[in-house]
Amino acid sequence: MSADNIWLYRRRRAINLIALVLGAAATLFGLFWLGWILWVTLVKGFTALGPMLFTHSTPPPPGAGGGLANAFLGSLIVNSIALAVGVPVGIGAGMWLAEYAKHGKLGGVIRFLNDILLSAPSIVLGLFIYTILVKVVGHFSALAGGLALALIVLPIVVRTTDEMLKLVPSTMREAALSLGIPQWKVVMQILFRSARAGVITGILLALARISGETAPLLFTALNNQYWSSNLLKPIATVPVVIFQFALSPYAGWHALAWAGALVITLFILTLSLLSRLILSRSKVTHD
Amino acid sequence: MTETAPTLSAQTLSTVVSQPKLIARNLDFFYQEFLALQDISMEIPEHKVTAIIGPSGCGKSTLLRVFNRIYAIYPKLRACGEVLLDGQNILEPGYSLNRLRSKVGMVFQKPVPFPMSIYENIAYGIRHHERISRSEMDMRVELALRQSALWNEAKDKLKQNALGLSGGQQQRLCIARAIALKPEVILLDEPTSALDPIATGRIEQLVEELKRDFTIVIVTHNMQQAARVSDFTAFMYLGELIEFGGTQTIFTKPTKTQTEDYITGRFG
Amino acid sequence: MPDSSTSAAIPNTPAQRMILRTTRDARNDRLFRWVLLSCAMLVLLALLGAVASTLWGGRLAFHTFGWKFLVSDQWNAVTGQFGALVPIWGTLMTSLIAMLLAVPISFGIALFLTEVAPSWMRAPVSAAVELLAGIPSIIYGMWGLFVFAPFLADHVYPWVNDKLGHLPLIGALFRGPPLGIGMLTAGIVLAIMVIPFISSVMRDVFLTVPTRLKESAYALGSTTWEVVWNIVLPYTRSAVVGGIFLGLGRALGETMAVTFVLGNAHQLSASLLMPSSSIASVIANEFTEAVSPMHQSSLIALGFLLFVVTFIVLAIAKLLLLGLARRGGTE
Repeated sequence: MSADNIWLYRRRRAINLIALVLGAAATLFGLFWLGWILWVTLVKGFTALGPMLFTHSTPPPPGAGGGLANAFLGSLIVNSIALAVGVPVGIGAGMWLAEYAKHGKLGGVIRFLNDILLSAPSIVLGLFIYTILVKVVGHFSALAGGLALALIVLPIVVRTTDEMLKLVPSTMREAALSLGIPQWKVVMQILFRSARAGVITGILLALARISGETAPLLFTALNNQYWSSNLLKPIATVPVVIFQFALSPYAGWHALAWAGALVITLFILTLSLLSRLILSRSKVTHD
Repeated sequence: MTETAPTLSAQTLSTVVSQPKLIARNLDFFYQEFLALQDISMEIPEHKVTAIIGPSGCGKSTLLRVFNRIYAIYPKLRACGEVLLDGQNILEPGYSLNRLRSKVGMVFQKPVPFPMSIYENIAYGIRHHERISRSEMDMRVELALRQSALWNEAKDKLKQNALGLSGGQQQRLCIARAIALKPEVILLDEPTSALDPIATGRIEQLVEELKRDFTIVIVTHNMQQAARVSDFTAFMYLGELIEFGGTQTIFTKPTKTQTEDYITGRFG
Repeated sequence: MPDSSTSAAIPNTPAQRMILRTTRDARNDRLFRWVLLSCAMLVLLALLGAVASTLWGGRLAFHTFGWKFLVSDQWNAVTGQFGALVPIWGTLMTSLIAMLLAVPISFGIALFLTEVAPSWMRAPVSAAVELLAGIPSIIYGMWGLFVFAPFLADHVYPWVNDKLGHLPLIGALFRGPPLGIGMLTAGIVLAIMVIPFISSVMRDVFLTVPTRLKESAYALGSTTWEVVWNIVLPYTRSAVVGGIFLGLGRALGETMAVTFVLGNAHQLSASLLMPSSSIASVIANEFTEAVSPMHQSSLIALGFLLFVVTFIVLAIAKLLLLGLARRGGTE
């Protein structure tokens, strides 16, 4: 080996080493932020956690005492509406894509647009519901907030249903249809049953996503300082309350915002861990 | 040879059996523009086992899938000609698919139990076609499992998920599911190709027993299997029916050279 | 079925029952298909509705200001003059900063997860990176406002101002009081938010490279880096760009995190250390307080612009990613 070759060889090795070290460093860098953000949320949240968080409603400024009970109720209501609307429609659309439009043009277009809706700016979806509902009816409402979030749930459920049904082997369809069972029963009772674990995972992820969504609620559900369960009135939700309180000048409100942030973060982490668990368990039983 | 094939099969068969169950007449089948089956005419006798053999891609599975029109769930496939079941043309648009499929059951290459209990796997299909009492249903499920020689292994775990069964048991469950509807014809599409030799042996034994009650058509790439289980054998090549006759005749004195070449392993 | 209950009107032969059931099945099948189709059409409707309603809501602003809406830096609720230049500039700059930071880091993470990390490490690290994507943006916003921005203001920006602020050409970008909040901070927070999206797409597309292709390169004595740079990247180029565009689409439309750390300033400023505003943050901050129809219409018009831009970016991303999926399918 000539001296030139040795030099070239060393140079290649060195470049390789640098690249790999940088890759590892990038990963550490990414994880570093995760650690930092979670740590801050945990510490600030736990110090602000009090017995009244779940029993009292949001306090007036300067925010001493009080809790987020009304916001938790509001989030529960708004998220329930979102799931109640988004999940059935999403499953229906996903079934259509997987069972009736596997290769068709319209199916391709809808699948494409659905993927765009999946990443579309959520604030615009809020504006959409504002113009077609809030402005027409004349006031903000829990229902409007739920519908805005339903538009976020929808594409997630459509996509998971579509993909999970596509994973069901086509022989399952053939076997069921060759028993003379009508297609709607085959889809609803047999194919969907095979895809169920995956679809549930998708629903959990959708719930995780909307639990932290703030932007589309700002001008649909608005906010409400008081305990309310009226679907046609403005309602407090945890993310919007966090937004309002965090940008306020009051320390008491800041503390409540951190406590709320902790609760939704833990909730979301639990949901995503749960969905991973369901998915890994369903994979085991399929084999 | 296209002009001789139809007459040949009709003549040989009419001397052996009284009644053909399923008759194909000048059947063509298209995948879009591609002609996958060409001018198939054959008569499948009742209460016999008819095997369809041939090299892969010869159209044997396609032919089977015409008999219960399962191909109709995919776009751009179409069949022309006639397929008569008890004298009625099943290819006619007016012929109800659900009715056809309750008369002509099918079992596939890979066992596909539904994601439910063993009991439900069988009861599910029955429940759609008939309204019967719980005790009657229990009897029907038991009968189907006995007929498919699965009862002894499954009777203690009827409520368990069918995915827990072994591959061979799953395939027998699929047969039980098909015969529980009391069909007249059962189509078997390479039913043992995913199974081990012991499970294969059990299925073959089962086929032998089932022909008392059903007309059976089996597609197989395994010539020994065709020779073991069938009464009649059809040999297909490149989408055409080359030869059709008694299994013994086909395997010992085939009239066509292609058949002979295939049977003796010279191609395929 | 007991025969005593059957009357003349009720079909009592098996054949009749069969016909009845068959027609009922066929009707239910048609109904089912129709219901599913309408669900699918709702997806279409949601997207078209969002475009149409924001265009309709913004018609007053578009009509009044015309093209000047895009190029004017005036945003004044009192005088009723609205131009979108500052929010557009803020949106583009923050997203640009985010992409400059996020793309190389995401590439590093994908490289690490597909080629470097020992196999036991890959699943948990991927899961952790994906958890980062699950954290709601409002948490990023709070962390950015209360923790990260003060940290930058105290420890980083004074240094940036001193060292970089005097450089020729790019100096103007880094000159300014260390407020903590501003375009650079927003860009960094956005980068952290989109890293998980871009890196997981990159990881997935890297995994589609056939092993034999990589193995034959290794067999020639290539280093890991050479395999990635000469084999993996060229093979997956369009999909990698698709992943980057997906991240860009997210960054452009991100609202809450940016609203917290960008300030809400309507002055155009060259310095990245200065507060600014983005399209989404202006809408979030001002919409409920916008009393005049013109103000509200201008905000909705901003929403329309944002939607159209993200639509185009996401559509490009999707098309680039589809290309790889198709190639993967044929091989």
